Amino acid sequence: MEKIHTTCVYCGCGCGLLLHVQDGKIVGTSPSPSHPMSQGRLCIKGWLGAEFVNHPDRLKTPLIRSGERLIKASWDNALETVASRFKDIKERYGPDSLAVLTSAKGTNEENYLLMKLARAGFGTNNVDHVARLCHAPTVAGLSYAFGSGAMTNPISSLSQAEVVLIIGSNTSEQHPLVAFHILRGKSNGAKIIVADPRKTQMADLADIHITPRLGTDIALINCLLNILIQEDLINRDFIAKRTTGFEAVSESVSHYTPEVAEKITGIPAGKLQEVARIFGSANSAAIVYAMGITQHTTGTDNVQALANLVMATGNVGREGTGIYPLRGHQNVQGSCDMGALPDLYCGYQKVIDARQKFETAWGRPLPQKPGLTAMEMMDAAIKGKIKAMLIVGENPVISFPDQEKIIKALKSLDFLAVMDIFPTQTADLADVVLPAASFAEKNGTFTSTERRIQMVRQALEPIGESRQEWEVISSLLSRFGVPADYASAADVMKEIAKLTPSYGGISHDRLGVCGLQWPCPSTDHPGTPVLHVEKFTAGLGKFRPVEHREPAELPDLEYPLLLTTGRSLYHFHTGTMTRRTSLLDREVPAAYVEMNPEDAGALGIRSGQKVIVESRRGQLQMDCRVTPDISQGTIFIPFHFNEACANVLTGQALDPTSKIPELKVTAARIRRAE
Amino acid sequence: MEAGGGQMSQCSSSQYNQYIPMQAEIVDIDVESPNTYLISLKLLDDVEFCYAPGQFVMVSVMGLGECPISITSTPTRNMLQLCIRRAGKITNGIMDCMIGDVLGIRGPCGNGFPLDEMKKDIIIAGGGSGFATLRSLINYIVDRRSEFKKVAVAYGARTRQDLYFMQEYKGWQQAGIDVGITVDIGDEKWKGNVGLVTSLLDRFDIYGGSAAICGPSVMINAVAQKLMKERNFDHSDIYVSMERHMKCGVGKCEHCMIGPYHACQDGPVFTYDKLMRLFRNGEG
Amino acid sequence: MMKALLPRNMLIPFLSKISQKMEVIAPVLIQGTPAFCTWTGQDLALEENPLHPPTEFLLPHKETLFRYVQESGRYTFEEEQAVPRLILGIRPCDLRAANVLDRIFEQPPRDHHYLGRRRATLIAVLNCTKPDDGCLCTQFGSGPEAKDEYDLLITEIGPGYLVEAGSPAGILLLSDNPEFFHDATDAHLAEKSDLMKKASEQIKLHSDISLQKMKDRIKRADWESLEKECFNCGGCTFVCPVCHCFNILDLGIPDGERVRCRDTCILSGFSRLAGGANPRKSPGERMKNWYLDKFEYTPQKTGLAGCVGCGRCQKVCMAEIDRWKLEAVK
Repeated sequence: MEKIHTTCVYCGCGCGLLLHVQDGKIVGTSPSPSHPMSQGRLCIKGWLGAEFVNHPDRLKTPLIRSGERLIKASWDNALETVASRFKDIKERYGPDSLAVLTSAKGTNEENYLLMKLARAGFGTNNVDHVARLCHAPTVAGLSYAFGSGAMTNPISSLSQAEVVLIIGSNTSEQHPLVAFHILRGKSNGAKIIVADPRKTQMADLADIHITPRLGTDIALINCLLNILIQEDLINRDFIAKRTTGFEAVSESVSHYTPEVAEKITGIPAGKLQEVARIFGSANSAAIVYAMGITQHTTGTDNVQALANLVMATGNVGREGTGIYPLRGHQNVQGSCDMGALPDLYCGYQKVIDARQKFETAWGRPLPQKPGLTAMEMMDAAIKGKIKAMLIVGENPVISFPDQEKIIKALKSLDFLAVMDIFPTQTADLADVVLPAASFAEKNGTFTSTERRIQMVRQALEPIGESRQEWEVISSLLSRFGVPADYASAADVMKEIAKLTPSYGGISHDRLGVCGLQWPCPSTDHPGTPVLHVEKFTAGLGKFRPVEHREPAELPDLEYPLLLTTGRSLYHFHTGTMTRRTSLLDREVPAAYVEMNPEDAGALGIRSGQKVIVESRRGQLQMDCRVTPDISQGTIFIPFHFNEACANVLTGQALDPTSKIPELKVTAARIRRAE
Repeated sequence: MEAGGGQMSQCSSSQYNQYIPMQAEIVDIDVESPNTYLISLKLLDDVEFCYAPGQFVMVSVMGLGECPISITSTPTRNMLQLCIRRAGKITNGIMDCMIGDVLGIRGPCGNGFPLDEMKKDIIIAGGGSGFATLRSLINYIVDRRSEFKKVAVAYGARTRQDLYFMQEYKGWQQAGIDVGITVDIGDEKWKGNVGLVTSLLDRFDIYGGSAAICGPSVMINAVAQKLMKERNFDHSDIYVSMERHMKCGVGKCEHCMIGPYHACQDGPVFTYDKLMRLFRNGEG
Repeated sequence: MMKALLPRNMLIPFLSKISQKMEVIAPVLIQGTPAFCTWTGQDLALEENPLHPPTEFLLPHKETLFRYVQESGRYTFEEEQAVPRLILGIRPCDLRAANVLDRIFEQPPRDHHYLGRRRATLIAVLNCTKPDDGCLCTQFGSGPEAKDEYDLLITEIGPGYLVEAGSPAGILLLSDNPEFFHDATDAHLAEKSDLMKKASEQIKLHSDISLQKMKDRIKRADWESLEKECFNCGGCTFVCPVCHCFNILDLGIPDGERVRCRDTCILSGFSRLAGGANPRKSPGERMKNWYLDKFEYTPQKTGLAGCVGCGRCQKVCMAEIDRWKLEAVK
């Protein structure tokens, strides 16, 4: 038996993991006791983390569409087809008729090469990935406020905080290792405040649990800041020396009195005061947030509100403080770092500013205008402006909102190429399907949510004829006349390090078990655990006033309930990997909707009965779980199950700045199924 | 092993690997209810398959998996029968089989009803699909009627369509067994009792005997308590066939633990007093 | 009993010679972490007991019970035989765990897979002269000195490794390879005795745990509060050397293999019936059941405690529950 140290493929925590390999198959996994963040722990998904690798459903050969069916083909044939169709369409309709969606589950090297393919190969900036649906507001919001959209401190710093405010994050289920560090702090006396419409495990263990009405976070946060200003619990020294723009914010939050906020959020005024005082009286306080903050039409403003709060209290730049956006996928941080974004190159260098640098490095002219974001690409496909797409390691048919529209968009394309490890509902619509190697079958790096760049080490030969994606993309780059003779993934990282200041000192042989936290600008730099210590990345931190706005879709007589979507501990996103893991599939085999006993009683629904959930876009049937753990008027569906896909119901209302859709608020109704 | 009497779990076709099943051909299929079939099997291997009422077998559909099914036939007759109800992936797979198809069989597993220890006056109470387990005991008694004295059967299902083995009730009555049948929900065609299984017990003239019960836990408790309180049954004479999730059938995988016992080896038949002790301690 | 002294620099050559005849499994460093794998000449990591127990080689996380091949509606079944190998560096606590597993899998009907693999495995157990902080073997009678059957017993002393044979196979290993060994003297034995006594005392100093104390604590524990803290990660069950729950799956239609995989009683699906009912519905009930199995049921069934005091469950617990005190703190 061999054991290989790698990084878990599921969530942004980035736990160290040992893969146990016997006779060319993975037979088990175990944790890494020397890992600085996971410290010998794994959640249930990590413990079962490699069962899907050998699953019989794995894509093993390239496939090319012939009528209704996808037929086995050779790699040469498949790659030639992809290259020639893309070239063809580019010639007829121009480079901006092409688009690429990269994979937040792919390595940094793969993401870099994909965005290079889009820009240098196809000639378009239409490259995006699923961060658009999760932390695009964080990138937009914190880039403005701090100059950097990343988590400010390492995850372990949370155990040093005196107070942790968790808002819009089901931490123990979605980022178990983050919860581990938070609860370690609690054992040492820290106070935990949770704001969530559901009584999650963290809410149950918290000192205070508040349940704001969906979509009212700005009112809540502005009110907290207002109370702190009134009671002089803000850090005037920090505000004066390290920030600008506070006066405008102070003025705008003054309208959010506890009484006004109570009306908007539903949280009692007294409770708001209690929370504010606890937060403001702490020497070191931290804010943890996830999709409950970002997946709104006010996502960017929500993030700014949190940034305003930490800056006003001086809770940035020290251990035990900071703001912690929890990235979902294990490499969505990396995909953003690598510039798989329509307006940014790697290292967050703007397309409009840094074009010449990249033209020189890559030896080709590059497109000038920033490209379309993921949701805009779908829209453009329906309108006939985008004709061809390459989608890698992503399943938009299940994970993007308004499924009917997404299917229409993909079907409108002249050509769709998909690269993945399993057949998905998105691959079902493709003209060419390319089989990719899984995380256990390739070398590369992932960047976790705490900016930790870590090694992914190959434990097995890729199954069947599947290939490591960086090799496939290199092939495509060559076919588009862009030189790409990288000997290994480590070679690709050498190029990345040259062009990405924050990754300047990164090379595979430096990473070991602990990896390195960026910024790591040079080969002798030890990495940077805490950001914004002396000054913000942008120099001075920027306050910006933000106002409460109602969600795009509100409940009415026809659709009186509010649906919020989310995840379960036992599954990951569209379930392609976890539903092929026997113990996880057994644990939660099917979709369900959670509803409050008052709401259920009024509709005559009992727990376990089959119900139909409807929105303005569609309907689904599933089992009902009646539980007091969810607020009245709200229902919850996890989005893991393609046969009862929550995104059949959700809408595409976007945040104007970051273009994230409002996945967290949809008007809905329920009735019993016959 | 107390509530013993049946045989130890036999190995299967491989002397060395008790996980390898024997193969049995489906020779007949009867429809008992919309989602339940009575399947008759003939073992392909030339083995003498001996079992006791209350034992079960692990049934395989190769490629889908294996699950425990009670043996519903009596060892006194020359056939092996199982009652399959649609509940999950494997039972669905069995229900999709046709006559001539081959299933894997491992067993017999478990302890069966301890006929040597049981009293000669017996009340048999079944609810829902649990009744399939008890049919083995009932037909055994029919075939060895002189070994028993007063015997009664109380059986309840949700509706008339859900009742199993309707064509056999008359034969049981003719063998001198008092048969009471009830449904939860009646209809125009149903002329019999509507109500709980416990309501059937009043008509039987049996006191201080043994009981064999199988069904939902609410029903098990209600019947056992009534027999103890009103009919002088001792809790050590009440035998319950317990249902548990099982995987190996040989007491190793630990899925079927009830306290320190394995339902697949020390059970599935347990005395009511043993169960009460476990549940009182918060075990099981 | 036959004994000999293996000088430190002879350990690797000795293993190299054995590895020509059979697989040698030993703890090596994987990116700085000690872990049991197939030894191919790497440096050995004998200081610390690896986090993942070597019982995974006796009861693999995933193994094929048999293969099935279908032809004209009938099946033939094929199975594999166990291959001989040596595991070096098992600690006395893990050896005791193997002994408990032996007793469980020997109960009729005997599990020939496990027993076949067990019989084909030579064990060279390493006495613990430097116990870890979390070690509690003395409290359960499982260490720091090996108390169960072994083929070779190794104790690190000043001049090298004192090696004692505990079985005919162990004797053969020594007598077939004399070129690596010197004679062992009484002084060597005395040094071993002294080191083991010190190690024992070191562990006893830090704990007042016992089988009876754990039985009492289980009765008194507030399981409803403990369950609120549990993350359902299953780590305690995956890392415990005595835990052996498994799931059985078929992979492949019409031909394929029936495999046995590690399972965990911490998950609700472990005991859930097809209709949805669950005799252990709450996480607290399942945790309590795990503890009862270790401290009540396994002693009843096997005569040995189901806990060997290795302390691993404490090291991987996500909720950092004090697994000995069983008190809910958060």
